[in-house]
Amino acid sequence: MTVAAELSQRGRSWLRIRAIARRHAYVLARSPHRLFDVTLWPLVDVVLFGSLAAFVGTTSATGTEKVSGYLLAGIVLWHVIYQSQIAMSTGFLEETWTRNLLNMMVTPVREVEYVAGVAMFGMIKLVMGVGVMVIGALAFFSFHVWSLGFGLIPIAVTLLIVGWAISLFVIGLVLRFGTGAEALAWGVMFVLLPLSGVFYPTAALPTVMQPLALALPTTHAFSALRGLVDHHGLNWSQVTIAGAGSVAMMVLAAWFLVRMLTTFRKRGYITRYT
Amino acid sequence: MPGEPVLDARGLIKDYRRTRAVDGIDVVVGAGERVALLGPNGAGKTTTLLMILGVVQPDQGSISICGIDLARDRSRAAECVGFAAGYLPLTERMRVRECLRLYGQLYGLADPGPRIDEGLERFRISHLADAMGTELSSGQRTLIGIVRSTLHRPRLLVLDEPTASLDPDVALRVRTGLVEIAANEGTALLMTSHDMTDVEHVCERVLFLSAGRIVADGTPASIAAAYGHGNLEGVFLHLADDRSSTASQQSDHP
Repeated sequence: MTVAAELSQRGRSWLRIRAIARRHAYVLARSPHRLFDVTLWPLVDVVLFGSLAAFVGTTSATGTEKVSGYLLAGIVLWHVIYQSQIAMSTGFLEETWTRNLLNMMVTPVREVEYVAGVAMFGMIKLVMGVGVMVIGALAFFSFHVWSLGFGLIPIAVTLLIVGWAISLFVIGLVLRFGTGAEALAWGVMFVLLPLSGVFYPTAALPTVMQPLALALPTTHAFSALRGLVDHHGLNWSQVTIAGAGSVAMMVLAAWFLVRMLTTFRKRGYITRYT
Repeated sequence: MPGEPVLDARGLIKDYRRTRAVDGIDVVVGAGERVALLGPNGAGKTTTLLMILGVVQPDQGSISICGIDLARDRSRAAECVGFAAGYLPLTERMRVRECLRLYGQLYGLADPGPRIDEGLERFRISHLADAMGTELSSGQRTLIGIVRSTLHRPRLLVLDEPTASLDPDVALRVRTGLVEIAANEGTALLMTSHDMTDVEHVCERVLFLSAGRIVADGTPASIAAAYGHGNLEGVFLHLADDRSSTASQQSDHP
């Protein structure tokens, strides 16, 4: 038997997950432009939306504090989805860009271990990106995100799950349709952002779009966030809807990915990447 | 065939749309056996290898590696297999040692360090340990790829065109290293190559594929003799010629 038998099945699995996470740490450390995703762009978003809040707040009856709360808390929490989604999607896309997919697929790595490894390192990127935003909001606009309280945690967890679910959909589409589908990794976020009511209630959306917005778990998560900004406490019914929706989305995304991977193997699409 | 089979693939069939790439072949490789899978372009060699590696799913047939059903437990079966190919890149943005450590761990080695040193030493490339993958020549990348695929001492080593585009010196090092791995570690080899010198030096058994079917199975010498040629290259050209004649007749008589 090979030496792999020295470790237990669980031990080997954990070793593989950590190895995948470390591989992506090297990618980040040796691709300085990738650091923009977790440093510069989050900071640019804080400056943009913080400045917008400062301007609108001085000219509106709502007041600077509340507008800052809506815009800055909204953009910081939006980055939870963005960072988790981009970290996972680009983690997989890195394998296709560098023609490394076959190298990975012939190893004993199970699909779930690969996803767990990329997600593990993605959490570090998420902490970096959101950390930069929290510090930026405090330093430039005296807005303390944590002043909103522990209610942020269930909202952030829901958004994290949505981000991962979207990335599994994107990976499934890339497996099925090739790298042309990777534009979705970024494009889908531009659709989700306005529909989710990140900065405003869905009542502000065109009437025709409101039912679609209400079907998204993210809409309910950001609605709960506005409740915190308005000092109304955590709206658990909104969080529950968001949580259930995000879990359902995750299950659907995992099912979709497994189907696409089966098709990938049946049709021999690996030859696209060798 | 020496020992129990490490690879037992039976009745493999694979269709790509209307083209049958692999047409009901059996590939059985015993422990420590060195087998070549030969045939002209489009004969179904790479598809067969990809099915054995679990990357392409056969439409029909079964594959068992070290007694493990590939369709039921791909991960555990893959622990017994190593794969290297001349066309595969090294994982980017990593130094050679980091890359080898990654793959050692993916194959379940908690501390791959000593195996890495041993593998680099075997192919006389220890000086490349701290180089970035992008700094290496194609020959050096091929050697590193073979080291990577043998770190976990696989029972079956699958090689697709391992010496493609290598200079004679590096190709010789590859051939010598492969024979040494098979002899010292009891690793079975299954390789494709268009270089008949490789095959005659490394392999003791040859499977000739043509249009997705195995048309000859035996030692290099017995196959050459059966087709009335002095060496495998003659057999290769003979089969390639047969295939183009058949294709030409089919196009004349639709």
